[in-house]
Order: sequence, then structure tokens, then C-alpha cells
Amino acid sequence: MSKTWYRSLRELENTAEFQEMLHREFPEAASEFPKGLSRRRWLQIMGSSLALAGVSGCRFEAETLAPFATRPANRIPGKTQQFNTTVEIAGQARALRATSYDGRPIKLDGNPDHLSSGGASDSYTQATILDLYDPDRGQTPIESTGGSKFNRSWIEADTFLTEQFSQFAGSKGDGLCVLAESTSSPTAQRLKTALQDKFPQMKWFDYSSLSPVNSRGGATLAFGKPVRTEYDLESAAVVVTIDSDLLGQHPEGLRNARSFSRGRNPDSEQMTRLYAVECEFTGTAVAADHRVALRPSQIAGFLASVEQALASDEETHAADESAPWSQQVFAALVDDLKKHPGQSVITVGERQPVEVHALAHRLNQKLGNVGKTVTLLPDESSADTFDEFVTHAEANGGSMLLLLGGNPVYDSPADVEVAELMEKFENRVHFAVYPNETSAVCNWYLPMSHPLECWSDATLYDGTYGVAQPLIEPLFESRSQIEFLAGLLGEETDGLELVRQTARELYPELKSTREWERVVHNGFHADSTAKPITPELQNFEGPAASTEWQNPVEVTNGELEVVFTTDSSVLDGRFANNAWLQELPHPLTKMTWSNAAIMSPKTADALGVKDDDVVRLELDGREIELPVYVQPGQATGSVAVAIGYGRTHAGLVGGDVEEGVAPVGVNAGVIRTAGNRYFATGLKVSPTGRREELAVTQDHYAIDKVGLEEIHGRVGDLVREGTLDEYREHPEFAEHRVHHPPLESLWTEVSYDGHAWGMAIDLNKCIGCNACVVACQSENNVPVVGPDQVRASREMHWMKVDRYFTGDTEEPEVATQPVTCQHCENAPCEQVCPVAATVHSNEGLNDMAYNRCIGTRYCGNNCPYKVRRFNFLDYRSEMEAANRELMNLVLNPEVTVRSRGVMEKCTYCVQRIQNTRIEAKNERRPIGPNEIQTACQQVCASEAIVFGDLNNPESDVAKAHADARAYGLLAELNVKPRTKYLARIRNPHPWLAPPVESAHGHGGDGHGEEAHGEHAHADERHDAEVSHNSVPAPTQELREEQV
Amino acid sequence: MRFNFPTWTNRFVPVLIVTILGGAAYVGAVVFAATDPQTLNIGHKPTQPVPFSHKTHAGRLKMDCRYCHNTVDKAAFAAIPPTATCSNCHTGADANGSVSVSAVHSDSPNLALVRQSQATGEPIDWMKVHDLPDYVYFDHSAHVNSGVSCVSCHGRVDRMDVVEQVKTLSMTFCLDCHRNPDPHLRPLEHVTDLAWVPDEEPEVIGGRIREELNINPRTNCSTCHR
Repeated sequence: MSKTWYRSLRELENTAEFQEMLHREFPEAASEFPKGLSRRRWLQIMGSSLALAGVSGCRFEAETLAPFATRPANRIPGKTQQFNTTVEIAGQARALRATSYDGRPIKLDGNPDHLSSGGASDSYTQATILDLYDPDRGQTPIESTGGSKFNRSWIEADTFLTEQFSQFAGSKGDGLCVLAESTSSPTAQRLKTALQDKFPQMKWFDYSSLSPVNSRGGATLAFGKPVRTEYDLESAAVVVTIDSDLLGQHPEGLRNARSFSRGRNPDSEQMTRLYAVECEFTGTAVAADHRVALRPSQIAGFLASVEQALASDEETHAADESAPWSQQVFAALVDDLKKHPGQSVITVGERQPVEVHALAHRLNQKLGNVGKTVTLLPDESSADTFDEFVTHAEANGGSMLLLLGGNPVYDSPADVEVAELMEKFENRVHFAVYPNETSAVCNWYLPMSHPLECWSDATLYDGTYGVAQPLIEPLFESRSQIEFLAGLLGEETDGLELVRQTARELYPELKSTREWERVVHNGFHADSTAKPITPELQNFEGPAASTEWQNPVEVTNGELEVVFTTDSSVLDGRFANNAWLQELPHPLTKMTWSNAAIMSPKTADALGVKDDDVVRLELDGREIELPVYVQPGQATGSVAVAIGYGRTHAGLVGGDVEEGVAPVGVNAGVIRTAGNRYFATGLKVSPTGRREELAVTQDHYAIDKVGLEEIHGRVGDLVREGTLDEYREHPEFAEHRVHHPPLESLWTEVSYDGHAWGMAIDLNKCIGCNACVVACQSENNVPVVGPDQVRASREMHWMKVDRYFTGDTEEPEVATQPVTCQHCENAPCEQVCPVAATVHSNEGLNDMAYNRCIGTRYCGNNCPYKVRRFNFLDYRSEMEAANRELMNLVLNPEVTVRSRGVMEKCTYCVQRIQNTRIEAKNERRPIGPNEIQTACQQVCASEAIVFGDLNNPESDVAKAHADARAYGLLAELNVKPRTKYLARIRNPHPWLAPPVESAHGHGGDGHGEEAHGEHAHADERHDAEVSHNSVPAPTQELREEQV
Repeated sequence: MRFNFPTWTNRFVPVLIVTILGGAAYVGAVVFAATDPQTLNIGHKPTQPVPFSHKTHAGRLKMDCRYCHNTVDKAAFAAIPPTATCSNCHTGADANGSVSVSAVHSDSPNLALVRQSQATGEPIDWMKVHDLPDYVYFDHSAHVNSGVSCVSCHGRVDRMDVVEQVKTLSMTFCLDCHRNPDPHLRPLEHVTDLAWVPDEEPEVIGGRIREELNINPRTNCSTCHR
């Protein structure tokens, strides 16, 4: 399969500026001090990353040691401890395991004992630890009167609340209105009921911008009551995602990703096939075998047509090869569904209207999937009642509006003037973790504790009851939600007691202290998982079948469709002040620090706009201005805009207009109305003539073997993939895709007899979700550099997830490839370091001694993988400012904090290797085969990354390296990388499969029998020979040094 | 008109050269000697907030190091004991003014800070004596469990009233031992016995222990730097 791959459209088109970038050794301005960056903004951004606590230059500096007066039991100073907890992050209850160092949590991971994650986690979970130490969180109660803000104490706040509530006690709560962010906490529910009993006239409404209104409504339409759905993707033969990020932002995304990747085993008899029908390019579609890009309004018709086709008895047949792509995939999809009754899954994303959700339930029922691959669980969560709040507030107003969490002023629909509605209440009290846009129109802001600071509980998606235990005392003067509610009731406000009471009421077995402690220890109550239900399917009218999806869309300005997406970085805006997430490249667009108007190349051409052009988006008389980002695969005629940006009161990272910090990105909520919360038709795009450079990392640190003219053919060498048929015919096709002359080392070969650390990354499993990037950042103290530095190609992530497109720009296929330091045995970086700052360990690690590094950057230049990162500036020094010092607490003390002028790179988490080694040695036992997990491996939901000792045949990594699909990236350079990639296997429907070519891609047959690496075909064009010559011959000195 | 130095000044040229070279050599020597770990590190002897004497406790009373530094064989850090450890013996008077019969020096003014810490829960700020740079990751447990005695790095603490640094603890110091550990290994039961004298050649004993415990110290950068 010789495909043409491209990283970006600029590369595909080979524009002049791309040429320019490629030919410079470092990108423009990468070695100059940033121009036009205000010092103030600089300080703010740097302040949000991490600082180095007091470096001592001189000896005999007075350093003190402060031991406990009484050391807590089991506490060993300097040793990490782990605690299970269950908290709500990003609107979803998650079972977590927190790592605590000397009493401060430094890392969050999934709880391996719970199915919802199996130990994996996503980027939001990883980044939440940074929020904990964010000084922009609410620190004290704030009262706003007469246009000024005053810091108050809780005593004063309590006085105010007591006074108010004593009045409500008389009026039975008349005039009191509560707008609470939806929560799954049973204790919060219990206290809510208690409040309602005490103040019967009180009005309580639940709201979250992430409320699953449509899926809930769809289930209600289908079954008469809300249900939740769990999928068994491992045993499913066909999975169809309809506008759904099933493996990503779905509440059970981690669990789904894991079970999907297990079903994606090309060595099993039945490899799951995934169809994705969607508008924006989701992470799930990265794994898809067939993807159809449709405008969201066409998707209902598509699914209705599927139902029609399934109902007919006609034999399925392939669509004509000249037919539009959507029709070809449709035919294959229907065929697959018919052939695999009871073995398929159809799932619909939140964006689609209720009828589509209901239809998916009906299809799953009809196909016999329910009870097999699809499990229905009761949904006990409370419904979103924001609409009722609006009606109530408009009609009545009241004396007090109490907002528990949330940020409705920012994230509610644009046509609901929440700020004005709030004015109808005499007193507005906002109780939330961060002061935000909503607090700005309240006369009281009260700080809520971070979920890691308090006792609480939560219900996981599968109904399991989980308990949250505090990892640290509140850092600021804050209270937990349940303590606050109990305080309003005038009751006992001890968080632990409140949660225990709920647990006792819900689960009598937890009355026993022993059982309760077991639950706290485990983080959840295992026996409380919801039992599957089999509700009766109701009669309902599905969406009308239409044929609109069958033909390609003509782009008509004014009738474009706009799609509002929850962002992979800031979600709905709640993570806007999290610098790790802001700087995290979007999985598909690779954009950081902003949102954009995302459209396909065809759409952009029709509108006459290109990348970075600022355009005006007009919808129903509302408008915003955004730069354009041209994204292959976005449905033609649609524009995707991420919500969650343009925050005006987020903090010093995400934007705070009161402090003079410009918002990051543009608030798309301005054109998002109640009727069009997810997508809308009738969008008009007009250029403004301005340009704004987006901070996109896609062409940065690109692996460039010989030059642009060769890139296209060669990316296929980097990311290798084949079809299932090809794999079955030539299992070792991947290794044979690149030919090279016999590899002879210029140096004496070193043998590794002890441990030989290595890694394997399965491209068949990777969905490019980015969780590994943030996990690495959290584990290894990787700094944040800010948008201007990203534009200058100075991002510091040790791990990059390359993504490559192939095929038609409107219907492309995509492949992702995580790349970190490959720990080459013949490392080119080591050969050029003049000070031996990077040398090899006797276990094959490419060590980096920061204190030796003098910053010549030769190593980065000589690295064929482009994985070395240079600290151009001291990205942390400014953080020593007293008001940002708190952020230091997030640093992992096991890893050195690097300074300016030093190269750094992935170490294979050497701190974890060393600590495990010492532990094993002290216990006089060998290191277990899979005992050491790197941070990226630990976090990976799809189990794509494995790490371990290559010399231990029991280890997963040794098995992976022995796999037929294994190949070394640029192995033809004879650098002997210790990371191997497992080729990606696509499982296309036979009708859509490309013909199986020779495994070699150049017509030769029978090479499969020859030993790999020994080919030397003079008669054929051999990529590797060219590149081999391009490697500079090492000098005599270097050779000697290596020996 | 150009000014030329008169010829008689030529006599000073050699003197000038000698002065410059000599001066440079002198400055170099001073800098070299002054920044040598031998000069910089050895003899660091800060005054502690509580005049705790290791000589009394570890030397005269023969208390084991691990009575106080009890995490030394379990963790990277040999923890400074909590105040509670001091108070095991040095309890002060309780609220009623009565003193436990087993209490030692319960009213000593030297221990005022200990009693205060115990009462308030505030830690005592001990001064750090042996301070490695932040980029060095030393693990006590790995060494103590391999038969490296406390005395190898800390010297005869049991003879010090005020603890001071006696070894350079420089990278060379570490590497010397990592490259040739045998003379520094001893049976595990004698690790905290600072006065222990081997009854045969240290290399022979050490070699035996190295075989027994499978000790092969590493000299990779990442062994100590992460």
C-alpha cells in the first residue's frame, strides 16, 4: 500500500512558507528573543507553569529540615503514598488513584481496580492536579458592593447567610432560588432534599452546560425513562459511531477505548470494524476503518436510511465505485450490520437530537445487540432544569439566588440573558471553585474547595457509589459543597460525617466501620454497581429518512452549518485557566492556546479564505470573529467552532479582563442559542482582511529524512499500516516496507546483558487522545511556554503525537503516532555532544545529565526523530514571585527541574525505573516483568504503550518486539531504536478494501522469506540508500569516543 | 607626533609578563583550591537550634542510629526524627505539673524547644548538615541494605558533640566507591556500628558480601541524576 501522507495542507501544497520553514535549521525566530510579547503577559504565563524552588549556588546556605512534631502513622518522609478517591472531573464522576508526596498530591491517575478506567485516565484528569495549586482559585469570600470588591472572611459571609436564611425560615423559603451545577453526589442530593423539606417554597434547578440532554431525552423517547448505555466493544464485530466521540469524550470513553482496543486485535479471529459517521474529526474516527464526513443535519437522515435498509429483505450489494463515498460506506455498513446480528453497536453522540438517539436504541434492539454488546443501566441522575429556571426567574425573581458551582453567565445559551435574569434577585451568591463570569455579577462570591481537598461522594456512570477522601487540607479559605449545604441547614458540617450518613442510609452494610473503611480504601463500593435493565421499547416516530446525505454538498455561503464542539483542551471553558491543557495540541488540528473556525479545504476554497485569515461568522444576527483553520476531513459546508474560549474572568492564564489579561481565543457561545446548542444552519462567513497566526504545532519537530521532495513517499515509512488481509498474507509486511543495505555499525557493538529497557507502541491501538502528553508533563515537570513560544516552535512536550492524513482532503484517513526519545543504541545525539552530557547507560538508556549540558543544541540537530527539547528561556524563573509560588507544589520531586540553556528529553521515566530497582533490591527479589510502567503507558486507555525489560522474555515489551508487526522507526539509519512500533492494521469492508499489494510495495515477491535487513537491490529505487548517505560520516574522534 | 615609550622601559617587560602570568596562576590556584569540595564541603558545622549531642546519645548511650533515623533502611531519606521521638525520654511536666518518673532532663533549658514543639505541634527547624545538590538523587536504603555503613559518608558521628561534615560527598567521592565498593562493604548487622573494626582485610569481607548480596553498583548518569 503506497499511500501519500501529509501532516498539513501547507505541506501537501508545498507552499513557499513551508519550504522556508523546512530549510531553516530552526524555525523562524526560534533562536531570537520573542518580539512584541508584553513582559506582563510573559510573567503571567510563565507564572502559571512551574518554578524552581531556591537554587543554592553557594555552599553552607542555611537549609532547614522541619520534621513533624508527631509523624503520622505509616508516613515515611520522601516516599509517595497512594490513595483511592472518586471525584467529579469535567462533569463526570471518576474513580481515581492519587499519588501524594509528603502530604501533597502530585499526580492523579485512574483507579486500576475500577472498570471505568482500569488505571487509565484522560488529559482532564491528569491536568486537574494543576488546578489544585492554581492561585487564581477563589481564596476568600468576596463581597461586591457599590462597584467595589472586598475580601471578606467566612465569619462575615456566614453572618450574611444566617441573616438571609433566618428570613427564609419564616417564609418557608419563599424567594429563595438555587441554581446548582448538576452533580452525581448522593450526599448533595440528600442535603438538597433536606433543604427542600425545610424550605418547601424554595426553587431548585440543576444546570450544566455538559448535561446529556439529548441522550437522556432519546432514551426517554425510546424506553419511557432515561437509561445509560454500556458497550462491550471487545466482542462487537461492527461498531458504528454516529457523530459520537465514543472513545474520547463519551462519559465512559476510557472504558470504551480499552475494550475497543482489545477487540482490535488483528491476531484474533474477529477484529472489530469501526464505522464513523460524523462532522468534526473526532479522536474516535482516528481508529475508524471507514469514516464519512457529513454535516450534522444530514446525519439523522443517514441513520434513518440505515433503518430502512435493514428493514428491507433485499440482498445487500456494493455501491458503484463511482458513487459518492458516503453511498459506498453506507452499503458496506448495512451489509456488515445484517451479517452480524447481535454483534454490533450503534452509538450516537450528544450533539444529535433526541430522535436520533432513540433510533439508535431501536436499532440496537432490533439487531439483537441489547444484552450482548449493549447493556442498559438505569439512569438515576437528575434532569437538567435550566429552562425552568429561566421561566421561573423571568416570572418571579426573588430575594436570593444561590448558584452552586457552574458558570451560567458564560456558558448558557446566548439568547438567554442570564446576567439580566440574575438581576431580578436582590442577592446573588455564587459558591464555586473559581471566581468567574458569573461571580462577577453576584454580590457574594464564596470559595468552594477543590475535589481533592474535601470529603465527598459521587456516583460513577455505571452506578457505582464512590467516596472522595481529602488528600490535603484546603489550601485556601474554602468549604466543600456538602459542608456548605449542611451549614445552610444549620446542621453538623463535618464532611466525613455527612458522607458517612449518606453511605449508611444507602447501603446498610456500610454501618460497620470496617466496611466503611474498606470502601474509603478502595475508593468505591463494589457491590453498588447498577444491575442491567431490559426496558420495553416504546413506539415512536424516528427521524425522517432522507437522501440528502447521499450526494456531496455544494458550499453556499449563508447556508453553512456551524458545529459547536466541546474542546479537547478547555472542555466547556472550565479548564480555561489550566496552562497544561491550553498548551496541549488538539489531537487533530494540533492547535494550542486558541480556537478557530475549522473548515475543510473545499469549503475554504469556496469561501476564498485560507489558514489564519480572520473571518466573521454570522448566525441569526449574532457574530464573532475567528481565524480560519483548514482541516481535512471536516464535513464539507460546515464550520466547527470550539466553545470554552474567550473567557473574560478565568484567571491569569485563560484571561481576566479586570487584571488586563486578554482572553484566550474567542467565545463561540455568543452565536450559540438555546435552540442551536450543538449545531445550526444558516451560517455566513465573510473575510475581515485581517490575519492572526494560530499557534499550531503540526509542522514542528517534523521528522524529515531527506527533504520535502521525498517526504510524501516516506511518511509511509514512518507510520506503517496495512489491511487485515495484507497482514494475514504477509504478517511481516511492516518490517519489509523499507529496504536498506546491510546495516553495519561503524562502532564496536555493545551488548546488554542485564536489563535492557525498551518500549513498544501499538499504532493499531493509539487513538491520538493526548493523555500521554499531559501525563508526561505532570510526571516529568515539563514547563509551559505560552502561545508566542509555541509559534516559535519552542514547545517543550517530551512526547509529541504526530498525526498524518492520507487520501482525499475531504474524506481523509488519519494515522497517529506518539513519538518520544527512542533511546537508540547507536544514538546520533551522543556522538555529537562535545561535553558528554548525553551518554548511554549500560541498560541502554540514553541518559541526559542536565548539569553537564552547555546548550550547543548539536544533539537536537542530529536527532533523526526530533524529540529533544531545548530550554530557550528560563520558563520557570518568573514563578518565584510570591503570589505564584504555590504552583511549585505540583512539581514531582523525583525529577530534576531544568533551567535555561539545557536540552531535555524523554528519559523512559528513569525515576520510576530507579525507584523500582531500589525497592526490588531492598526486598532481595528481581524486578517483575511488567512491574515498571512509564507515565505515558500508565495513562493510556487503549493500552497502546508497553514498557519493560527486553531481556526478560516474560515481559509484554519483549513479546511486542517479537511481534510480526514490529518495526523500528528509521531503523535503516542503524541507530537501533529501543522503541518499536507495531504497524497499524485497518480492517476495511471487503467492498472498500484496496487490492492487496505486495508486502514490499514495489511489485517484488518472495522477499518475505529473506532475512530482513540483508536486502541490497541495486535495480530498484531504495529510499534508505539515499538517506543512509545523508547521515554524516562520523569523525575519527567520535568513533574512538564511542568505543 | 606619536608618543613612544623610552627604551629604558623595556627592562620592565619581562617583569610585567612574569607578574601577569604569576597573577593568573595565583588566581587560578586560589579559585581551584577554594572551590574544591575538599575546601567547600568539609567542616560544615552549623549550630543546631537544640544542642543535641550525637556523642552522648550514639556514643556514650550506644543508641542505634535507627532509633531516631528509622526510615534509613526503608526510604531515600534518613528521616530527621519527629519531636515525639525526643519526647519518649525527654517529656516535660504535664498540665498538672507532674513529671513522669522515667523522664530525663525534663526541665533542662536546652530542651525548651523540644517541649514547646511537643506542646504546640510546630516542628523544630533543624539545620541541614549533609546537603547534596537538588539534582542528585541519593537513596539511603539502597546503601544501608547493601552493607554500606553510615560511617562511610558521615564519619564518626558518635564522637561528635555537634555534627559536622567530614567527607566531601562530591561526585568523585561517590564514584570512587561505586567503582570499587569492596573496602566499604560490611556485614549488614554492623552497618550502624560506627566503631566496628573488621577482623580481616576489608576488601576480602567486602568482596564476600558483594557476591552474597549481588551488589553491582552502577556508574550511569541516570543512577543518580534524573
